[in-house]
Amino acid sequence: MLSRPMSSGSTSSTSADDSPGPASPKSVEAQLGSVALSEPVAELASAANQEARNGVDFATAGEGGDDDEEDADRGGEEGPVGGAEEEVWADYGGAGGLAAAEEVGEGLGGGGVVWGRTNSELEVDEPASPSSSGYAGERGSSGASSGELEIGEVVEDEIQEPRSGDGVLDSQASWVPGKRHVDEDDASVSWRKRKKHFFILSHSGKPIYSRYGDEHKLAGFSATLQAIISFVENGGDRVKFVRAGKHQVVFLVKGPIYLVCISCTEEPYESLRGQLELMYGQMILILTKSVNRCFEKNPKFDMTPLLGGTDVVFSSLIHSFSCNPATFLHAYTCLPLALATRQAAVAILQDVADSGVLFAILMCKHKVVSLVGAQKASLHPDDMLLLANFVMSSESFRTSESFSPICLPRYNPMAFLYAYVHYFDVDTYLMLLTTSSDAFYHLKDCRMRIEMVLLKSNVLSEIQRSLLDGGMHVEDLPVDPIPRSSSLPSHLSQPKPPTDSPERFRETCDGIAGPAGLWHFIYRSVFLDQYVSSEFPAPISSPRQQKRLYRAYQKLYASMHEKGIGPHKTQFRRDENYVLLCWVTQDFELYAAFDPLADRALAIKTCNRVCQWVKDVENEIFLLGASPFSW
Amino acid sequence: MGCSSSLPDRSSGRLVGPNSENGGAPDSKNLRVKLVLLGDSGVGKSCIVLRFVRGQFDPTSKVTVGASFLSQTIALQDSTTVKFEIWDTAGQERYAALAPLYYRGAAVAVVVYDITSPESFSKAQYWVKELQKHGSPDIVMALVGNKADLHEKREVSVQEGIDYAEKNGMFFIETSAKTADNINQLFEEIAKRLPRPTAQ
Repeated sequence: MLSRPMSSGSTSSTSADDSPGPASPKSVEAQLGSVALSEPVAELASAANQEARNGVDFATAGEGGDDDEEDADRGGEEGPVGGAEEEVWADYGGAGGLAAAEEVGEGLGGGGVVWGRTNSELEVDEPASPSSSGYAGERGSSGASSGELEIGEVVEDEIQEPRSGDGVLDSQASWVPGKRHVDEDDASVSWRKRKKHFFILSHSGKPIYSRYGDEHKLAGFSATLQAIISFVENGGDRVKFVRAGKHQVVFLVKGPIYLVCISCTEEPYESLRGQLELMYGQMILILTKSVNRCFEKNPKFDMTPLLGGTDVVFSSLIHSFSCNPATFLHAYTCLPLALATRQAAVAILQDVADSGVLFAILMCKHKVVSLVGAQKASLHPDDMLLLANFVMSSESFRTSESFSPICLPRYNPMAFLYAYVHYFDVDTYLMLLTTSSDAFYHLKDCRMRIEMVLLKSNVLSEIQRSLLDGGMHVEDLPVDPIPRSSSLPSHLSQPKPPTDSPERFRETCDGIAGPAGLWHFIYRSVFLDQYVSSEFPAPISSPRQQKRLYRAYQKLYASMHEKGIGPHKTQFRRDENYVLLCWVTQDFELYAAFDPLADRALAIKTCNRVCQWVKDVENEIFLLGASPFSW
Repeated sequence: MGCSSSLPDRSSGRLVGPNSENGGAPDSKNLRVKLVLLGDSGVGKSCIVLRFVRGQFDPTSKVTVGASFLSQTIALQDSTTVKFEIWDTAGQERYAALAPLYYRGAAVAVVVYDITSPESFSKAQYWVKELQKHGSPDIVMALVGNKADLHEKREVSVQEGIDYAEKNGMFFIETSAKTADNINQLFEEIAKRLPRPTAQ
């Protein structure tokens, strides 16, 4: 599917501007048939059936290559984890779930191809006819692969994980927003080696966005993706994903907009699909869903000019998929602040919201300082994520105060709201949203009132201090759930003492992490739609290690939220990187990572302590009460 | 929250024409003017504004989202001051439909093109027509050819700019936000052309 000959073939048949929108049935069949089905169909079909029943496979817990960004070229140093893995699942109905999934995973092996579909079985049974696309010569004999589907091999030849030594890019280098590698296209070797591609295209196959490479040069490739989607749709079905070797191709159809992710990052299907949903949401935030009308008028409508200058918004969102847990937790996080400080910020925002502002949001980077909504208005955490990403990635907001139309996809995907945005300092910004297009001067006045109050009550300096201190550090985890009277742990409201304070005893195993080998945790409050994530300790200090941990959490999240396997309460996994423990109740979800040698019983005990600790300091780490998140 | 003193002010309409005042004492010596910049994306609207307001030039392009609001006051030789409230609009196509939001009630429109780009000159002409149709009837319009420092890449001649501006009753100037050439002159010239309040 990713082979170069194919895309060049499809260029000639579908991509030119004067050709009809949807590819002609003949060329689609030729493309699909010749790529996917040069080998026995039976195996493909049975594999697909099994896969469809079992959903995502859990066969590999290790993160083969965890870098799909600039540092990708160093990927070879960490291979997939094969052997030692300990898994304990508790409280789920039926014993077959994981075992079955694992069997399927192993059975498919490296070169297998799996088609995931919403219903029915595979019915693609056209014979291979490579000649019609004009690339028979380049493919060689279709019988060459023994027993494995050829697409797997083709794909592995075409897009592969970069080997170590391919480049010397520093994985520690801080991420710079913006689109890179615009000179690439699907004919470039480097383009094929990228670990994670994202594409947005129109239902006529016109490219709208590509993470790497120039959209216009990828017209042929886009047309191929469109052909695959419409081929399956013509059969009254819908393609969810295709697995080809290490690669997964995930499709999401939103009316006339198609979104595709091609990834070899081993992320679960549900996660990648969630990421595509966010990509779509980001597009709606910029344009509203009324962009669909352009396609009703003209199916061949070219949407790229409408998104001019927004590459940076999408690339920053894609970057956050691997460094911001909000992208898979569907929750937001707050900047830790003393209760009185946050209350002061909430009070002034509330005052402003009562004067006709729909939402007033004060944020520091991607963390919420305070947030107030007008009566009955509720803001979805995903909308907050997309809004914050939009504002933070668009440099012009930092230059001066702005007034810009934006759409909140979960609030109302059809209509624009107007956002007044103002940065108080490099990190802290205020967003006032309104439905009225001429409210700018009113919002500007509101901002001046808010700024005055924030300065008077030292909120802005407290924000800076909290940013410096960080949030919860695992090494500060109290030894025993101490019933606290009134005093809260000092580190959340005061600078951390350089040495252990006498009143707080630390049970640090080796001085680099928390007790019992606790490295990190994320606690998500179900009712509040908020999460708190601990600071990263030394063993997980590099962005690369953090990304790997987030991916592991993400996998855990997907497995705990998967429908059909039963309600999991706890999950315990051990591989060579970590011990991961997950605990889901009606009130909260806890994800914790420990040293790989951590003791299981101790780890469980530690998780209980973490939960108690979070409850003890919830006034400072969460935005409580009067939550507008009440849908 | 201790700021109730500013409350009465907030509901007053603030769309400012050349003659309206900032809630304070009316003063013919101190004008307050709403100015809007229009033009294709990438012609340098934000650079012109930032050069004028902050004396800065940032060669890295930062795409404007929606519109940015900045203000700058200049003093003229006749001892009047003019406070420009500048709407620096985004040049992107998706914001074209929303432009009236920003140019409504504007006393001055500065239409910018890039002298190295004939397309941006056509786009400038589109904006002039748009303003003639929907802008304030007594709006002061300036046509600005920016990036004048790139004269070796010039594709729109000075004469073309002058001719078009004359035909449409506009004031014409070529600027360079990079070298600061003619930036202050542009705003001073606009200030001189503003209709003055009759009541002295």
